[in-house]
Amino acid sequence: MIAAWRFTALVITILLSTTLWTSSAFGQPAPYDRPVDAAPQAKNIGGGYITPEVQKPLPRSYWLEVLDVALLAAAMILVSWLVLRRRNRAWLLLVTIASLAYFGFYREGCVCPIGSIQNVVVALTDPEYSIPIFVTAIFFLPLFMALFVGRAFCGGVCPLGAIQELVLLKPVRVPRRLDRTLGLLKYVYLALAIWYAAQPIADRDFVICRFDPFVSIFRRTGFAHMIGIGIGLLALSMFVGRPYCRYLCPYGELLSWCTRFASRGVTITPDKEIDCGLCADACPYGAIEKNRAVRKSCLYCARCYASCPRTGPMVPTVRSEAAASPDGGRS
Amino acid sequence: MSEGLTRREAMGHAARGLAAIGLGVTAFHLIRKADGQIVWQLDHGRCVNSRLGAVGVNTCNLCTSECVVAQSAVRAVNDFSKCGRCYICPAYYNVTSAVDESGLPSEKLCPRDAITRTMIGDADPEDPANNFYEYVIDETKCDGCGKCVMGCKEPAGLGSIRLAVRHDLCVDCNRCAIAMACPDDAFTQASVEEAFERLETKGGT
Amino acid sequence: MSQIVVPTLGHRLQSIPRSWQRLTALCIAAPAGLIVLACIGMLTWSYATARIRAPHDEQHVLELQEKARTDAAFASELADEQAMQTEFRQQRAAKDARITLMLLLASTAFVASMKWLVSLRDRFVPLQSQFVQLRLPPRAPAAAGSRSSALRRPESGEVSAIDLSHVDRIVAEIGRSAEAAIPILQAIQSIYRYLPDDALHRVCELTEITPAQIAGTSSFYKQLRRTPIGEHFVRVCHGTACHVAGARQVTDELRRHLEIPEGADTDTQQRFTLDEVACLGCCSLAPVLMIDEHTSGRLTSLSAYDALQTFLTEQAS
Repeated sequence: MIAAWRFTALVITILLSTTLWTSSAFGQPAPYDRPVDAAPQAKNIGGGYITPEVQKPLPRSYWLEVLDVALLAAAMILVSWLVLRRRNRAWLLLVTIASLAYFGFYREGCVCPIGSIQNVVVALTDPEYSIPIFVTAIFFLPLFMALFVGRAFCGGVCPLGAIQELVLLKPVRVPRRLDRTLGLLKYVYLALAIWYAAQPIADRDFVICRFDPFVSIFRRTGFAHMIGIGIGLLALSMFVGRPYCRYLCPYGELLSWCTRFASRGVTITPDKEIDCGLCADACPYGAIEKNRAVRKSCLYCARCYASCPRTGPMVPTVRSEAAASPDGGRS
Repeated sequence: MSEGLTRREAMGHAARGLAAIGLGVTAFHLIRKADGQIVWQLDHGRCVNSRLGAVGVNTCNLCTSECVVAQSAVRAVNDFSKCGRCYICPAYYNVTSAVDESGLPSEKLCPRDAITRTMIGDADPEDPANNFYEYVIDETKCDGCGKCVMGCKEPAGLGSIRLAVRHDLCVDCNRCAIAMACPDDAFTQASVEEAFERLETKGGT
Repeated sequence: MSQIVVPTLGHRLQSIPRSWQRLTALCIAAPAGLIVLACIGMLTWSYATARIRAPHDEQHVLELQEKARTDAAFASELADEQAMQTEFRQQRAAKDARITLMLLLASTAFVASMKWLVSLRDRFVPLQSQFVQLRLPPRAPAAAGSRSSALRRPESGEVSAIDLSHVDRIVAEIGRSAEAAIPILQAIQSIYRYLPDDALHRVCELTEITPAQIAGTSSFYKQLRRTPIGEHFVRVCHGTACHVAGARQVTDELRRHLEIPEGADTDTQQRFTLDEVACLGCCSLAPVLMIDEHTSGRLTSLSAYDALQTFLTEQAS
């Protein structure tokens, strides 16, 4: 080791001295040799000098990460209560906005349960890899929730879902066949993510994170092409309901598998419903088939409840308007 | 209770229970393996800039170019306890450049002029070459290009300047772009304590 | 509780005219959209210029470095150049951060106002305007609160069920033999509008007709009814056309609104009696219903109840 350094030093000295010999003193490089062999300490320097600390910025506190997990769980419980019990979209929207602000723009969308798939895969395949408890928690919590109350995580907690949900203006109905075909992309993406994450460390790659379309928007910085893709996808989701969640999100696929066993879920209550089909029209995700909610693709937006003339709040508004004007307020 | 169950409900409960147990076992397995809090850290003992090449040879600046943060979260850090406080600092001056009237190299090494040089201690203005100088890196200007690290390393300097991750700027990507690009796997995840230990000691190789 | 919270902004701001709301939303959306476009443009421009400038700057620094290596006079120029480039980078970063923040705020405003604008359009056309009222003059505008008052129980002109003198008179006119059972029951129903139990007991006392015969006859013919009838008789057509067009839903909706108990056909306040009939003969208006002698067609589950309400308003005026 020391021999190697000595050799390098020798080479450098020879190189430097060669340059020196071939030049005159002024206007040429200064004669350079290492000025000191040891660092002078405060007592040698004198003059009341105090050695400054090494610049050492602290990372986020551990307890804040615990708080994150707690907030994630609380938000999911709140969402499932609002959707399944209260059937209330207005409050759900508030939770969605809060989640977007906190998990998206404040926590900058990382580590998210979607990306944590890869950490979990690596942890399972690579015995050397140690996964933080925090990441384990955020991977499994939404899955457990999905087993019991369905995809409450997608509904108002996931910042990627929230940003698409909030920009949705006028959903276009995607033809059922196209919808199903594009839905298969999720499996491809999931398989790719697992494949690349399971590689040995030199070839390992986290595809989901590399192509996360919204994380650069949350961070307001990043690679230009990813920002472009993010803005493009957002523009698309103004007219197609949550394209990332429905066609790409690999974690959504895991969640939808869990909802197959779920004991609760969004239901179009059969004894109260009138087959009017307004909920199916209101659902931007094509998750209502034959006037019944399809659990695995329901994203807990509660639009069906908001549009329902039986349970929803629409009835009194429309009725009183209709009674007030002879043409029924068709304008 | 159980006599009120239909077969369908019973199977639903069973499936849900099995799935929950499966998830629980996996989660438990991972939690047993898990570590507390993990941050990205730069093991400067393995950093190319601290380790390879001669002064002035092309610097590895992947920390600057790869990081997703606009001005990289990696910064050069001067460990003052090891700094030689030289008159002609090889990290401050480009020692291969021409000498000006005062006998100092005319060109500064840092492309962003992020290092400031101040005379410290019992200064003797008549004999500047025998005074001590403190070199402080301005973190608002530094973007971790590694030129000063390259300049300061042994044998030219004492190797007090090294690259380090600013944990308050690092966004803790799941997939650190620098770690993906780093030619010597100097970027690894470590617990917070370990990361700071590495920062203060020389670091392993 | 759910009826307090109204889902869309457009409905919550009902007191403000829609045209004003639309104008306000447009006034926010248009400039916000322009700002969004401008910000995206500026960011792209900033990125492009930086990308174009970077190699050129690098080249310049390298050249100066080369010169400074031999001539110290160039050193200050190099230092200036590097300082300028650093300054430019920092300024660009700061400017980009400001533009990005503005872009975020503007796009939030844009999306919010566009959502407002979209919510101002009706989610579905209020269906009351679509159903057809026959044999009636055009409806006069009804007051907003008229619905509850229109459904109040009107003054009862019904014959008291206790007054059995009518039964005595009918039996005297028609006869006491078993053959007179049907005419007697018809006459009783024409007076009481149904067959009160007291009246039937009285018939058994006065005639040779046995209670078993009366029970059999009155339950066999659909025109005879044993339970009190509502003030208005609503016949919902369940013919093929109406069935296909959703007569089932119309009936269910009416039952729900009138709160008709399970198994009964009349609401508890006896305002309406609901009947499902085979065909009313106007399939082109399916689904159709008749309220007494008035016909309403092209109904939906949402407009069926409004048809009753309109009928009552007409009656009251």
